[in-house]
Amino acid sequence: MKRKRRYNSTAVRIGSIIAFVVIWQLFSFYNEKAELMNPVFLPGPIDVFRTMLEYLEDGTLFKHVSASLIRIFKGYFLGISIAILLGYFMAKIRILNDVLDPVLGIFGSIPPYAFCPLFIIWFGIGEVSKVFLITYTTLLPMIGYVVQGVRSVDPLLIRSAKSLGGSELQVFFRVLVPSALPFVLNGMKVCLGLTFSALIVAEMMGASTGLGYIIVNARNWFLVSDMFLSLVLIALIYTIIKQIICLLEAKFLKWKKSGMDAIE
Amino acid sequence: MAYTKIEIRHLSKHYEDFATGSKKAQDIPRKNVIDNLNLKINAREFICVLGHSGCGKSTLLNLIAGYIKPDEGEILINEGKEKVTGPSPNRGVVFQEHALFPWYTVEQNIGFGPKMAHKNKETIQQIVDEYITMIGLEEYRKCYPDQLSGGMKQRVGIARAFANEADILLMDEPFSALDEFTRANMQKELLKIWGRNKATVVFITHSIEEAVLLADRVIVMGEGKVVTDTGIEMPREERELNNPKFMDYVNYFKGYIQDK
Repeated sequence: MKRKRRYNSTAVRIGSIIAFVVIWQLFSFYNEKAELMNPVFLPGPIDVFRTMLEYLEDGTLFKHVSASLIRIFKGYFLGISIAILLGYFMAKIRILNDVLDPVLGIFGSIPPYAFCPLFIIWFGIGEVSKVFLITYTTLLPMIGYVVQGVRSVDPLLIRSAKSLGGSELQVFFRVLVPSALPFVLNGMKVCLGLTFSALIVAEMMGASTGLGYIIVNARNWFLVSDMFLSLVLIALIYTIIKQIICLLEAKFLKWKKSGMDAIE
Repeated sequence: MAYTKIEIRHLSKHYEDFATGSKKAQDIPRKNVIDNLNLKINAREFICVLGHSGCGKSTLLNLIAGYIKPDEGEILINEGKEKVTGPSPNRGVVFQEHALFPWYTVEQNIGFGPKMAHKNKETIQQIVDEYITMIGLEEYRKCYPDQLSGGMKQRVGIARAFANEADILLMDEPFSALDEFTRANMQKELLKIWGRNKATVVFITHSIEEAVLLADRVIVMGEGKVVTDTGIEMPREERELNNPKFMDYVNYFKGYIQDK
């Protein structure tokens, strides 16, 4: 009889990342010999690691990473919070929705990064214009998820809660919030990517710190290794924040049945 | 003198029928779902409301529950002391689609009502334990509704309504989505629980057998009115399909329902 082999999903995932890094390094070694392109333009993982150590030694790594992190947290949380507030009232008050929806539709059709120079003119070259761009970029799509979440509430559950003696406030926290939460968390995951692109764009246009700044600065001096370092850090920070949201999902949405195991 | 638990006086509810496609307000026909309905229900009575789909029985239940407002007339509770103006924890509801909170476990669902009333933890736990034992789902107390079968979910729904200690229980075809065997078991279980708690029950169904099996009194509705209001003068233990008296009742109500 054939024994069913245990499939270890986590091992395969970790293996995939290791394999990618190894292939990248091997290709970079090969490039040094064969010179498919100037080896300076394609550093391998080891070169990037060396660059990171240099950044660590002179303390610039912490400076750039913390500058970017602060911008992300400010912009992301401001954007998500405003979206939750606005989205909730838009879902509840029909006229507000009818007033705001077309306007938001127009703004939504303009790529937010097109506003970047405008925001700089309005708010200056400092932090305000950067955080504003990130907030704006996160905010617009997030509203849609919140509205959808609030509207997804099953009216039967509201009736049910009211007949069990639930007050308006209790119905809000015990029925509406949990119903909307899957949509909100999903939206937060999707919008996180937009937050990061806004961050990099903002930092590439007139900044003296941050991961985006490293990239522009590196371009000016052909420091390709520095560029790669910044890209790796962006991926790393993004993944960590996304994992935190996934943990929140696992904690708050454990009642949700996964449909993936439906058919063996 | 019997205590009048629910009194329905000259109750009417109509909906605008947009199906005809007319845009002018005066051309839209008004459909009377409930048409000047009068009914008195005594305390601790088990009433079954029987009728075709669309006869207004679910609307009647939603009106008593306070989910919708009547266009005319009123519903009075406890010998006219209270008037129905909205949902209340004194009027528990069991829905056809169980309506359990998917994010709460069996335990939390049953304890929802007591928790809303800010009862203390021990009291809530005591109530939950009592009703979870009553419906025989002790092993499933930590399960979420999605992990339960249809019959189990409905049992939790009933326990949740009873656990709130409502003295009026409104049930909207609670067993109609269940298979025949589960349904028969649930009917027995419901009578058992009701026997201990003696709430006033208004039970909506489209199954004549179910109505005759459960009720003290059967109300047949048609076109928004009470067509007949008949007590079942027969002890519950004797109510079986092979009992000719039982079948007499079934055929009697069948006559009213098929007349339409």
